[in-house]
Amino acid sequence: MFEFIRATLQRPNYIAFVVLFLWGLYIAITHHNLVKKLIGMYLVQTSVFFFLVSFSVKQGATVPILMSTTDKVHAEAYANPLPHALTLTGIVVQVATLGVALALVTAIYQKYDSLDEDEILKRLE
Amino acid sequence: MTQHLPALLFSIPLLAAISMPMVGLRHRGWCRPMALAAVCAMSVTAVVSLVVVLNSGEIRYSFGGWAPPIGIEWVADGLASVMMVAICLIASICLIYGGAVSPLPAGGRVVLYYTLILLLLSGLTGAVFAGDLFNVFVFLEVVTLSVAALVGMAGGKALVFAFRYLILASLGATFYLLGVTFFYAATGTLNMADLAERVPALLDSKAVIGGLVFMFIGLGIKMALMPLHGWLPDAYSYAPDAVSPLLSSLVTKVALLAWARILYWAVGVGSELETTQILRLVWVSGALASVVGAFLALTQRDVKRIFAYGGVSHIGLILIGVGQGNQTGLAGAMFYLINDAVMQATLFVVAGAAIHQYGVKTMEDLGRLHGRAPWWMTGALIVVAMSMIGIPPTGGFFGKWYIILSALRSGNYLAVGAVMLSTLLTLAYFLRLWVRVFSGDQVSPSSTQRVEAPFALRVCVGTLCLSIIALGLCSDLIVRVLLDTITPLGL
Repeated sequence: MFEFIRATLQRPNYIAFVVLFLWGLYIAITHHNLVKKLIGMYLVQTSVFFFLVSFSVKQGATVPILMSTTDKVHAEAYANPLPHALTLTGIVVQVATLGVALALVTAIYQKYDSLDEDEILKRLE
Repeated sequence: MTQHLPALLFSIPLLAAISMPMVGLRHRGWCRPMALAAVCAMSVTAVVSLVVVLNSGEIRYSFGGWAPPIGIEWVADGLASVMMVAICLIASICLIYGGAVSPLPAGGRVVLYYTLILLLLSGLTGAVFAGDLFNVFVFLEVVTLSVAALVGMAGGKALVFAFRYLILASLGATFYLLGVTFFYAATGTLNMADLAERVPALLDSKAVIGGLVFMFIGLGIKMALMPLHGWLPDAYSYAPDAVSPLLSSLVTKVALLAWARILYWAVGVGSELETTQILRLVWVSGALASVVGAFLALTQRDVKRIFAYGGVSHIGLILIGVGQGNQTGLAGAMFYLINDAVMQATLFVVAGAAIHQYGVKTMEDLGRLHGRAPWWMTGALIVVAMSMIGIPPTGGFFGKWYIILSALRSGNYLAVGAVMLSTLLTLAYFLRLWVRVFSGDQVSPSSTQRVEAPFALRVCVGTLCLSIIALGLCSDLIVRVLLDTITPLGL
């Protein structure tokens, strides 16, 4: 048990990821306000990107650009660029999702004059 | 030239979707011919690529000329090509139906409608062909976004359910992405063929198992697997009639196809998958979904909702086949998946026509069809009911046959029982429908105002019914193609 706690504490980035992820999920599930649900979803997505970036960090590594083509390549001297590329694509997807979701929220607000889910469901009937 | 076919198949709807608003805002009348032309071109390309794949083996396309483990790879094997032909067929029928029958929202929305349909198609194409895990995520998100916008186009109540779908599906996508991240952390690759070499040695690693479970939950939301299906009935029943056949037939199926691909093409080569409990999780949740989904369909009043729950139960049936871990099961499940896509399209086309022409919305209104509905509508309902229940010679029978056969082969009698029970429940809800139709009060001919069905609607319904029967008659041929794709996996 003690070993496990110590091993966990050595990776604060994972703790931060878990906290952010669960926090976002909690907001998305429990809040009745549509915009707050959206914020929860955003937090969950961002936490996964954070996780993706944080485990690709390498101490003392630099950007993966070869300065010369003749020298021997030392792979350990460069950071892995792929998680960053994935994160970038993920952020684009996230922005698109957020845009469509906000457009829907705006349309709902114009139609039902409320952002509260219970209120809207009451007016649906 | 032939190796570019998958990319061509993807770029046709994408380019058409991009140019649609540019052309459409100026000449609104051009939208429909343009969309139809794009879908026709896609269908031709899909058939050509199927022929090429059958003759000279699978096409592996690497984008930008980067070799697979580093670059992005698309795989057009037998399964993907057959699926692509089915998608193009259903899409063209839905497009003909959508424009001809139900009134499209007026104004600039017409342009939007066709743009979104084409975007949806390009997303589906990408998700079917994608050869690495991250691309599956991106294309499924493209599908989700266009579906949410299409559902929301109906306005009113549909907006709320579109929003709910978007939130749930995006959370699902995030779970999936987390699973992908775990896989990447454990193996250092995302390419499915590359993963297939590295994962089997790591099957006892917590990262891989956790990643698999996260992916299953995420894709489970997208494929509306039983406890995670909450978004589906509302979204489909409030979606515009012009789009619900397309959504119900293709969107959930593509997520399921992606899951089958991950399970067998990226993770489990051979029998190593048996050591994890993931296959058991898959078939047990499938069995649960098939029975409970059919039972829920029995309790519904709204016709579209009955069909939507029927779709939920069929997703479960397909998962039972996927979870058996043998060749017959996987091939049968994939065959049933194509069948189910056609069946769902038929159901929603007929339901849309009944709503539009006779004002049938709930079970009580079904009596109005009695003596009024033309013979082909009743006939279509009979054919699709036969296929849903599983009576030969329709495709549904053969799909169920292979799934039951594979469950018997692996001695899994509980799964066989679940398939049987869900079949009985399907029979029950169709009987309930039929009783309503035939016990309706016979209307006197004078009070019936003759509603002439558009010719296009008859063509759509006829083609769909014929393809249900053709799928049954050609089942041997299609299953053999699927088996050829699956055999190299060494199950």
